[in-house]
Amino acid sequence: MLLAAAVTLLAIVVMSGWLADSTRQYSRSLSRMTALRVAAGTLLSQLQDAEIGQRGYLVTEDRRYLKPYEAADAAVETTITRLRELVDGNADELRIVDRLAVLAADKREELAETIALMKAGRRDESLAIVRTGRGMSLMDDARRSLADLITPADAQLETQLGALTGQARISGWVANLGGLFILLVVGGAVWIALSYTRALMQAQRAIQALNDSLEQRVSERTMELQRANDEIQRFAYIVSHDLRAPLVNVMGFTSELEAGLASVTADLDRRPADGGDPTATEARRAVTEDMPEAIGFIRTSTTKMDRLINAILALSRQGSRTLSPEPVSMRALLENAAASFRHRASELGCTIDIAGPLPSLVSDRLALEQVFGNLLDNAIKYLDPTRPGRIAIRGRAEADRLVFEVADNGRGIAPQDHERIFELFRRSGVQDRPGEGIGLAYVRTLVRRLQGDVTVDSVPGQGSVFRISLPDILALPSEKPAHDA
Amino acid sequence: MMRDPQTVCIVMIEDDEGHARLIEKNIRRAGVTNEIVPFTDGTSALAYLFGPDGTGQESAGRALLILLDLNLPDMTGVDILSKLKANPYTKRFPVVVLTTTDDRQEIQRCYDIGANVYITKPVNYESFATAIRQLGLFFSVIQVPEAEA
Repeated sequence: MLLAAAVTLLAIVVMSGWLADSTRQYSRSLSRMTALRVAAGTLLSQLQDAEIGQRGYLVTEDRRYLKPYEAADAAVETTITRLRELVDGNADELRIVDRLAVLAADKREELAETIALMKAGRRDESLAIVRTGRGMSLMDDARRSLADLITPADAQLETQLGALTGQARISGWVANLGGLFILLVVGGAVWIALSYTRALMQAQRAIQALNDSLEQRVSERTMELQRANDEIQRFAYIVSHDLRAPLVNVMGFTSELEAGLASVTADLDRRPADGGDPTATEARRAVTEDMPEAIGFIRTSTTKMDRLINAILALSRQGSRTLSPEPVSMRALLENAAASFRHRASELGCTIDIAGPLPSLVSDRLALEQVFGNLLDNAIKYLDPTRPGRIAIRGRAEADRLVFEVADNGRGIAPQDHERIFELFRRSGVQDRPGEGIGLAYVRTLVRRLQGDVTVDSVPGQGSVFRISLPDILALPSEKPAHDA
Repeated sequence: MMRDPQTVCIVMIEDDEGHARLIEKNIRRAGVTNEIVPFTDGTSALAYLFGPDGTGQESAGRALLILLDLNLPDMTGVDILSKLKANPYTKRFPVVVLTTTDDRQEIQRCYDIGANVYITKPVNYESFATAIRQLGLFFSVIQVPEAEA
């Protein structure tokens, strides 16, 4: 549409240009014709003036009559030159002008001769020349030639005027058409712009609606997640809590068994050993070996189960604890944390260094203390006994996040365990240290609650680097978990 | 008028029969010979304490010491505690909350409502047995008021 409009407008412009050009040509040729006509008229009147002056002189012999003759005689040559210029290469006209020039020269010669004779006092001779009628026929010839020149010029003038009028009409039409077309194009453009604007507005409204529903969906999902999370917390709490009650029974009655067994053993010990009776020997062995062993296993298992349940309970409590962000000087916090491990570290010949300036942040102090406490505890716990331990704590700011690293030169963690160690009850490497596989799970839960993340880089036999990234300012969502166990 | 501790009856509301048995054993080991009336759910305990009409008149003239677990199948011990402390006949009976929960807020709530003692059941049985025996010793020396008639 716009392309068609542009093409048409261009055509109109080209056409107007062409029309203007041809009009200019027409008007130039028109003005030439007019000038030619005027010049022809002038020549005729000059020749007539010259003749009138001559006649007057010949009749009156008064020299005053020679004045118009002299003026006209002088001007004839100029007029002929002018005619020649105006003819401008037209062969027919040139021929006529040449003839006119000859006629005019002859006429002037005749006039000059008669006037000269008159001046010399030979009046009769002069008049005789006039009477020959040669001057008159010359004038007639000149008139005819001029008519030859003027008549076609007039005709041409007529046709050219007609053409010019026609052209003016066409120009008018073109202008009108152009105007109409411009109106159409402008109207079309306005219509297109309006319909585009309407479509745009519609699209915008649609986007706005989508946006709104998206926000709603996001908040719905967030609420669902929040609810699911709360549910898991509650579930973990209830499970661990309710698991404890039967455990108390198991442990309690195990103790009762043990106490009962003690009295049975005491009674058996007082009796003499009855060598030959296999039943008695079997009973003695059960009381002194099998039953204490069974009770020992029950004890160990229940103790372990108790620790695990306590861990789940602690985790679920941590998950629902209300965080209170406050400005925390990481230097002071880490120095405190390191100080509480110094004694243990120095016994193992291990150094703990806190390197460089540490960025401070706004976060939950207790959670941070627990995170770094756990990491330092692990670092010391899993040192490599073949070399002096070195633990370094570093920190740096990256964009709007802060990264802290706890690096050790301990025994390291196998690559396949890098993710596993953060899971609850999972441990890596040689199981020669006490522990339930809780510390790092706890660290990850805490760090995630602080809107951060914890990762590990480790090479077995060389050491590990635990990297914690945290937001510089902990912004809590407005909605807090309702459950506070 | 105060009663001889011998005639005080111990009401034990505990849904876990194993726990109930262990508690009874250890109280007896402390030399407590008082009658122990066990209940394993809240509804029957309430029926005993407040009578079929629920007014509590049933307890008039009784001298009870109540051992209360918070996790019951049909209601929470906190509900029973509030009812006990709100009723004119039962409000002076000493209530010992004996439960697995060691949640700080729960403990505060129980004392706010009027619990006289709150004990967390130790998971370790030696500690549990010791705690119950000490509780038994405590029972043998405290004075339990008789409900007004």
